[in-house]
Amino acid sequence: MWLQGLLCGGMVTLATPTSLLIGVLLGPALLAIVFDRESGRARARCIALCSMAAAVAPLRVLWTSGHSMALAMALAGDLRIVATAWVAAAGGWLLAELMPIGVRTVLDAVSLARAAKLRSERVRLIEAWSAGESGGSEPPNGR
Amino acid sequence: MAETAGRPDSELIAGQYAVEEGRRLLPVAGLPAFGVIDGQGGRTDLMAIQLSRQVPARPRAFQALTTPIEGLLTPVAYGPVGDACYAICVAPPGPAVQARARAWPEAELLDCVLRPAARVLEQLQARACTHRGIRPDNVFQSGPGEPVVLGTAWTAPPAMAQPALFEPPYSAMCLPVGRGDGSIADDVYSLGVLLLCLALGHVPLGQLDDAAISRRKLEVGTYAALTGDARLPPIIGDLVRGMLAEDPEHRPTPTLLLDPGTARSRRVAARPPRRAQRSIALAGGEAWDSRSLALAMASAPDQALNALRSGAVEQWLRRGLGDAQLAARVEELVRHRAQDGLPEDGNAEARLVMRTITLLDPLAPLCWRGTVLWPDGIGPMLAVAQDSDPEQMVRIEEVLVHEEVSNWAALRSDRCDFAVLRVEARQQHSWLQQRGQGSGVVRLCYLLNPLMPCASPLLRDRWVTRLAELLPALEAAAGRVDRRVISPVDAHVSAFISARLERRMDKEISDQLGAADADSAASLSQLRILAQLQSRLHLGPLRELAAWLAAQTGSVLATWRNRVRRAAIEAQLRVLTEAGYLAPMLLLLEDPASRGADAHEALQAGQEVARIDAELVHIAGGAEERATTASRVGQEIAAGTGLAALAISLALAALG
Repeated sequence: MWLQGLLCGGMVTLATPTSLLIGVLLGPALLAIVFDRESGRARARCIALCSMAAAVAPLRVLWTSGHSMALAMALAGDLRIVATAWVAAAGGWLLAELMPIGVRTVLDAVSLARAAKLRSERVRLIEAWSAGESGGSEPPNGR
Repeated sequence: MAETAGRPDSELIAGQYAVEEGRRLLPVAGLPAFGVIDGQGGRTDLMAIQLSRQVPARPRAFQALTTPIEGLLTPVAYGPVGDACYAICVAPPGPAVQARARAWPEAELLDCVLRPAARVLEQLQARACTHRGIRPDNVFQSGPGEPVVLGTAWTAPPAMAQPALFEPPYSAMCLPVGRGDGSIADDVYSLGVLLLCLALGHVPLGQLDDAAISRRKLEVGTYAALTGDARLPPIIGDLVRGMLAEDPEHRPTPTLLLDPGTARSRRVAARPPRRAQRSIALAGGEAWDSRSLALAMASAPDQALNALRSGAVEQWLRRGLGDAQLAARVEELVRHRAQDGLPEDGNAEARLVMRTITLLDPLAPLCWRGTVLWPDGIGPMLAVAQDSDPEQMVRIEEVLVHEEVSNWAALRSDRCDFAVLRVEARQQHSWLQQRGQGSGVVRLCYLLNPLMPCASPLLRDRWVTRLAELLPALEAAAGRVDRRVISPVDAHVSAFISARLERRMDKEISDQLGAADADSAASLSQLRILAQLQSRLHLGPLRELAAWLAAQTGSVLATWRNRVRRAAIEAQLRVLTEAGYLAPMLLLLEDPASRGADAHEALQAGQEVARIDAELVHIAGGAEERATTASRVGQEIAAGTGLAALAISLALAALG
């Protein structure tokens, strides 16, 4: 933790414009890193990656245009750039929330299809091999 | 021939005789008699006697009398017509001798009664047969001076219709159906009583009932009891005295009777029973000799047991009768009973009474709990008692189960063939012990009565005494029954089959019947039995019976697990049923190769179902696992997407 603080402190001291722009553009990602206490911090990771993708272009402009504090302030104050970065962060959060649900839906659908196929096979076997007319015993409630 | 030409074969007996049911004759021994038309020989001297279902005819007599005997109304043929069975016999040539009210002269008695009857008895003896029906209403004469003719005695158990007067006391004290075939000496006795009655011109002791007649005969001897103060012609008197001896061994043989002079001179010194100085009271009467006491004990076994336990019998024998040896033997029997340690064993007590009676009178028949019988009368007794007298059945079963005939014979081995009786008793016991459908007392009843028809309710309108008649009768019955509910092989049919089969198939059938516990096994076993019968007896197609058996095979078909195979077998069975042969049906249902394949495939199918069930259970219980996986994979995908976006941005930035 202290190493991270030292690096951040060093970066703020040595590259203040970059730090300012990153601080503004990756602000939601930093908040997510602080508040995400789940193991692996999957949400924070996704938000950070998306935010970083949106921050690449403004940082390139900053670094290729003299890396001045004024430019950094101008870029940080550009609503389009900030909105893009923060929308990307929101998109990352949304992606992290929806993707497990989507995968769960797919897995359930696959299981249901398999269970239906197995039940059908079971009924066929019971009908072919049972002495009575009831179709045999009830199958387990697989889904 | 013309008179029977219009009748179908099923209405003819031996393919020749037609019963005229509209022409009733006088009953014979209580059985209805009818006129007969002989379609081939044209004989007019025949009559038909309708046999009773409950009272079996005498098989030994029918076998022994295949060739006629002069002076005897022999059976000519017998067989079923519809639901009745008739014995075709020679009709009486004239009225019965009882029609003559006056006393017969001695010469006529010797020439017309004694010699002709003795000749008949001699031939019967040569054929190992007895008559057991000599009485005034069953001996006929075509005219005065003509030799008498003995009537029929084959359509009912031996001596069943004989009044006590005409039977030896040891036969008269038995139940009428339990008198057994007896010996020719019993016929000699009956002939003696007949001669006496004809000589006297009346029947003596008419005022006494049967029990009193037997008691009186034993007390004073038959000759003295019947003649009383009457005087008989000298030759007849001497002959009858010998013929009426209580001991069968003391009676003259039929051969000897052919020469009355010799027979008259043969005097056997039979000692009269020793008379006691004082009587012993038992069963409401008084006994003065051991024979009378045995008779009283036989008729009142409970009182006899009390008298034995109290020592009254032993004391009377010792002090009253003065027979210390007999008293000691009775005392020994009582002591053994007291020492056997089973105070409430009713059978042991009945055995004690039975043995005591046998000791007191070795000539007495087997007396068991008030039931008196000769061992060769057990068969007819079973036949008569099985549906009408359960109490009597219990007693007979006790006699069979405990092999009492053997115990009885052991005490009088000098008067019977002990070895033969013991073997028979063991054989009957083993038959009785066999379990399963068609075993036990019902089977024993059919075994001991070869002419008894099958008493199955299915065959109520048929008279079936032979195996060859059984399957056609079942074929006819198939149209009247609910084929799914009623089995063609019920307890009576299976017992009948077991009893009538020759020995080489006996064990096989018994095993099959004994194993018939499950529905499918029972259905298959009855099909197996009837199929074997059809094959062995070379019977033609039996389509109705085949359809009946096919309707019973539902449980057998259900043992095939594969529905398609089952349907195919059912279809094949329908085709075979229409053919009417049972063996191919059995082959189809028993086919071991097909059954093996079915069982193997059923096992595999069962395993497959178990695997599916396990997988379904796994799917049903996998929701949490799927949620974990979805969360992990979803987050990985989200991270991957973010990383890809970052990579694209970096690439775009690098490219300018």
